[in-house]
Amino acid sequence: MTLQPEDFWSYSEWLLRPDAFLQSAILQGIVLAILAVLIGLIIGYLLAAARKGPSEGFYSVARVVRDLFVFDLPGTSPARVYALGRLAFKEAIRRRVLIVAGIFVVGLLFAGWYLNPNSDDPARLYISFVLTATNYLILMLALFISAFSLPADIQNRTLYTIVTKPVRATEIVLGRVLGFVAVGTCLLVPMGVASYFFVTRGLQHDHAGIEEIEKVPDSSGQGFVYVGKTTYDRNHFHTFTLFEDEEGNLEGVTNIARGHQHIITRKQGSDDYVIERPLPLTARVPAYGDLYFLDRTGQRTESGIDAGYEQRKGGYGSAGLERLIGRTSEAKRIEFGYVEGGSLGAGIFTFPNVTEAKYVEDIPLQLNLRAYRAHKGKIDRKLRGTITLRNPDSGAVTNARTFEVNEYQVDDYRIPLVLPGNDGENNRDLNVFEDLVTDEGTLQIELRCLDRGQYLGMTKGDVFLKPQETSFAWNLTKAYISIWLQMVMVISFGVMFSTFLNGSVAMLMTFVCVLLGFAAEGIYDVRHFIDSNQSMGGGPIESLIRIAKQDAMTTELDVDALTSKVVKGADTAIIYSMDAIATSLPNLPKMLGTAEYAASGFDIFGSLLGRHITTTLAYFLVAFFVSYFCLKTREIAA
Amino acid sequence: MNLSHGLVNKLVYLAILILMLIPLFLLGQPESGTSERSGGQLTQMRDDFEISEADLGEINPASETMKLSSLGMRGVAASILWNKAHDHKVHHEWDRLRATLNNITLLQPHFEKVWEFQAHNMSYNVSTEFDDYRQRYAWVTGGTEYLTEGVRQNRKAPTLIWTTGWYYGQKLGMSDEKRQFRRLFAEDQPLHERIRAEGIDVDGNESLGPDRKPDNWLVGRQWLKRGYQLTREGGVPIRRKTPLHFYETGPKWLINHAVAIEEEGELSSAAQRAWQTASNGWINYGEETIPTTAEFTIRLGEIDELARRITEQQAEFDELTGAVRDEMRKERIQQLTDSQRALLDIPDEERTDEQRGEVTKLELLITPKPMEIAKRVPAKDKLKAIELAAAMNYTARRINKVDGYRQQVNYEYWGTRALAEQTSLMVEARRLVYEADRLNENAELDKAIEKYEEAWGKWAQIFENYPLLVFDASSDDLMDSLKRYRTAIDSEEFPDDFPLDEFVEKRMSGAYSPDEYEALREKQRKLNADQQRQQDLLNLDFRKMMSDAQGSVKAPEPTEAEEQAAEPDGAETPSESKPDGEMKQEESPAEESPAEESPAEESPAEESPAEESPAEEKPAEDSEAE
Repeated sequence: MTLQPEDFWSYSEWLLRPDAFLQSAILQGIVLAILAVLIGLIIGYLLAAARKGPSEGFYSVARVVRDLFVFDLPGTSPARVYALGRLAFKEAIRRRVLIVAGIFVVGLLFAGWYLNPNSDDPARLYISFVLTATNYLILMLALFISAFSLPADIQNRTLYTIVTKPVRATEIVLGRVLGFVAVGTCLLVPMGVASYFFVTRGLQHDHAGIEEIEKVPDSSGQGFVYVGKTTYDRNHFHTFTLFEDEEGNLEGVTNIARGHQHIITRKQGSDDYVIERPLPLTARVPAYGDLYFLDRTGQRTESGIDAGYEQRKGGYGSAGLERLIGRTSEAKRIEFGYVEGGSLGAGIFTFPNVTEAKYVEDIPLQLNLRAYRAHKGKIDRKLRGTITLRNPDSGAVTNARTFEVNEYQVDDYRIPLVLPGNDGENNRDLNVFEDLVTDEGTLQIELRCLDRGQYLGMTKGDVFLKPQETSFAWNLTKAYISIWLQMVMVISFGVMFSTFLNGSVAMLMTFVCVLLGFAAEGIYDVRHFIDSNQSMGGGPIESLIRIAKQDAMTTELDVDALTSKVVKGADTAIIYSMDAIATSLPNLPKMLGTAEYAASGFDIFGSLLGRHITTTLAYFLVAFFVSYFCLKTREIAA
Repeated sequence: MNLSHGLVNKLVYLAILILMLIPLFLLGQPESGTSERSGGQLTQMRDDFEISEADLGEINPASETMKLSSLGMRGVAASILWNKAHDHKVHHEWDRLRATLNNITLLQPHFEKVWEFQAHNMSYNVSTEFDDYRQRYAWVTGGTEYLTEGVRQNRKAPTLIWTTGWYYGQKLGMSDEKRQFRRLFAEDQPLHERIRAEGIDVDGNESLGPDRKPDNWLVGRQWLKRGYQLTREGGVPIRRKTPLHFYETGPKWLINHAVAIEEEGELSSAAQRAWQTASNGWINYGEETIPTTAEFTIRLGEIDELARRITEQQAEFDELTGAVRDEMRKERIQQLTDSQRALLDIPDEERTDEQRGEVTKLELLITPKPMEIAKRVPAKDKLKAIELAAAMNYTARRINKVDGYRQQVNYEYWGTRALAEQTSLMVEARRLVYEADRLNENAELDKAIEKYEEAWGKWAQIFENYPLLVFDASSDDLMDSLKRYRTAIDSEEFPDDFPLDEFVEKRMSGAYSPDEYEALREKQRKLNADQQRQQDLLNLDFRKMMSDAQGSVKAPEPTEAEEQAAEPDGAETPSESKPDGEMKQEESPAEESPAEESPAEESPAEESPAEESPAEEKPAEDSEAE
């Protein structure tokens, strides 16, 4: 996964966006809330006016608003909410929603048919499968139970039995939402536990033994180490190095193959090599830095060389409210920037907050670089790069340390705290914290490519320091919390729609909202092309014409001028309104994306969850007020 | 009371449902296995077209489940998956790409192009995205394993089998990383296990290279052989591939194997054996029937037989219709203009090139065609003449086809090359150059120069024997080695009596024209024919001595032998023994290709069918030749 700009903001940055306030989340939230309220009031007034006449209508709307703030909100009783919640819970269970859990278990059982056992990183595959399956199942569950309950009540007239009791509309809505959330949670928790065991057990394996082993002199020339390789099991084997300790026991660790390692031991005097289970999964907590590049002549640029790979899509969504007011911006995407080998080109990372407390033994630098060969070069050798640490203030710089590039895996380099280098005047051993880290605590690391004519690719999110790790279980839990938040949002929407729509229509509407959330980036893309006057297939009607006529995306539309104008005008109107709606709706793919963090072994950082919580709360409140309003007015009408 | 409205409705609906069940049953009833044509219409149609799951390949429950669960929207699901696969590729998410490709084949297991496309994607596109050559190898073999699964699920798809064989050969053996890939393949025992499990012989002599480990070219050829079994013996039609090229690849892989091991330094008798096998394979390929776009099938190796046949037919026809032909010719000459006639009168040696061109065109005008002659023949011979003319036409068409197809696969060139490479002379020459290059790398210049000079002598001899090889890839590296030699002896020019002067000159002058190449080929044929004759004479003497010693026991044989000598004999030689260095039998297929000229230049009925075994022709010819 390539991290995008919005993945690097802290919570306050996301909320307030100090240098781009128009794009901030808080502005978006407030504006949308106000818009929702205004639109709601206007529609309410119009409906009431249609029924009762203009002045009566106004009074009834005003009465509802007054009721909300004067009676209903303050008078909401937790006991009644709890009672209604229990009712909703029981109702949902009676509707046999536990089948969802059954489907999930069946899915897990048959997962083996569809998961590729030979993949290079089975952990990532298993985790992402499990999280995606859970996510979709829970969303479907939320869709169904939330959309059908209230309309069923209304149709069966059982709603009257509730409404005639001293129960407020707020309590009805709140009770239902909380009841369904409880059902979902009761399903989610066992699914989470089952997934955890599925993943850890699925990755558990043994190697039958040692294939070959030999004693070789070690790097210092004094002692010996044992190197060898394990048997070929589960489509891979490991190489290892064992060290002998004072008692004659052998112990060592294998290399990382398919994302895991084993510990191998042999007791003194025994012949058996004990290969333990794979080391448990962990989640890295990365510390990122800023990145800028030097081009081949040494001039500073913001983006590296483009190696010509196809660009990914998306990146518009972070523009926030700017879209609504009509200022569309370019997609803000982070793509890999390449550094040319054998030249002055480099990628320079500036890491803040490098303190002794965090990095006690050494500095763990993790790299996830890409190698681009412009010519074949030495085929049987990997591309090489160098790492240099520097102090931007004092000019101290270490000697270059060479490394070989391992693509598509996160490479781990331990930089010792004392390195040979030059402090600006003499060559001596430099201490990282004394000489290389500035007073503010920043450290610069420079990456270059050694092989001439070849390129190394990097982004801001692919080179980081790793001060600590957290457990995989906690990370998985955070991923499940994110799924839980999505569920809450969908339930709120479902209940909201069900207050004024028929059951199936409510479900359809909620589904459409979810779908629009998924399609948002595509809609933004189309709008961007329409705005910048590029011919990339156009909006819905134009696309339909092109498909029917089997025309390409980039040719002129093959209809007469008047039809073309009408079609393009209609398309612009449609796309702009869809854009507005998509911006108002929650950005679900982003929330789904937290599964990526877990699957790639990165910690789901606090700010990310914080953002999700804020977004869910905001949408829940909006849905709550709309539901209250609709239920109240409906009550009156019925 | 009468039945309520609702009840009536329900009864009507029930009746309609039951009625609709009948056509459903007729259409969809599965086979009951009792009789030949059991089952509904659809089942029978499936049987007739052989498209039921069990006919096409093994039944895969995961695939069936996925197809069913798409609820009829299999196309939509497949399109979404293809889109996702492309997204994964753009984002460089390789394991997810692989997982998605597996899922695609669950939905579309019998669409051959899907397997081919995605296997190509993996082996050729995805593999190059990696920096480490071992990962590239893993993805190339990932593509071939993908194809292997496709083959398993599509039992009647020879194209898939062919593609698998092609990838094992071409991708592992021709890419930039071929040395590394070949080495990795030879040592990849888990892969050999998997290939063995498919029923491909990885351990037999046919699949092992000189180091007694499986060779990628030979294993690829085993795959191709399986495809050939399927089409020739199994009767499955080849789709989307020309039969000529479909069958060419197997023997070609043998040739490529020999080239590869020589490049890697294997320049001993193992290389010679490899070239011998390659030559045999190539000649066998010439003996197989290949369907053509015409209504007849051909064999690539039958050109000489056809040439002989048409000569005989021509002779017979001339005998029958000679007079008529002359008459017609005179008539047509009468119709020419004066200047044209004047042109014809000029003797050939005195014509300019332009005039020669003109004369050729005129000849076309005045020479009557066989059918035209046949029609003018008097009634008593007319039928026979027409039959002969038709037969000549047919033979001419066949010759045309065979010649054209031979050119497409460059049949003669590869045959010559395989023959030449088998000889110890060639292997020796290559070995010397290889060793000289190695010595040069290690900066042992004196020894290198010595070896180089020895090598040049041998190469000069090779080019004398096989002038065809001057302009070809087998001597490409020679120019590089010559450059190294020049650097080693530290001089810009070659010494005066340098044996390869001619070669260098020809090479430096650039590409040859087609006419030059034609001329080279003629020269090659003449050389081969001369050598052939010498060999025949030697053999003849020996046999004569033998037959004299055995006396009159041999007497009745000559008549038999004469008969046999008159018959065209095309079906031998290839499978006969090929001891190293016996140019005669080995060269015959190569030299006979433009066989029209050999009868013309030698006296007819004497040595024209030179590939006939000496025992047959010797007695009859001996008396005439001496």
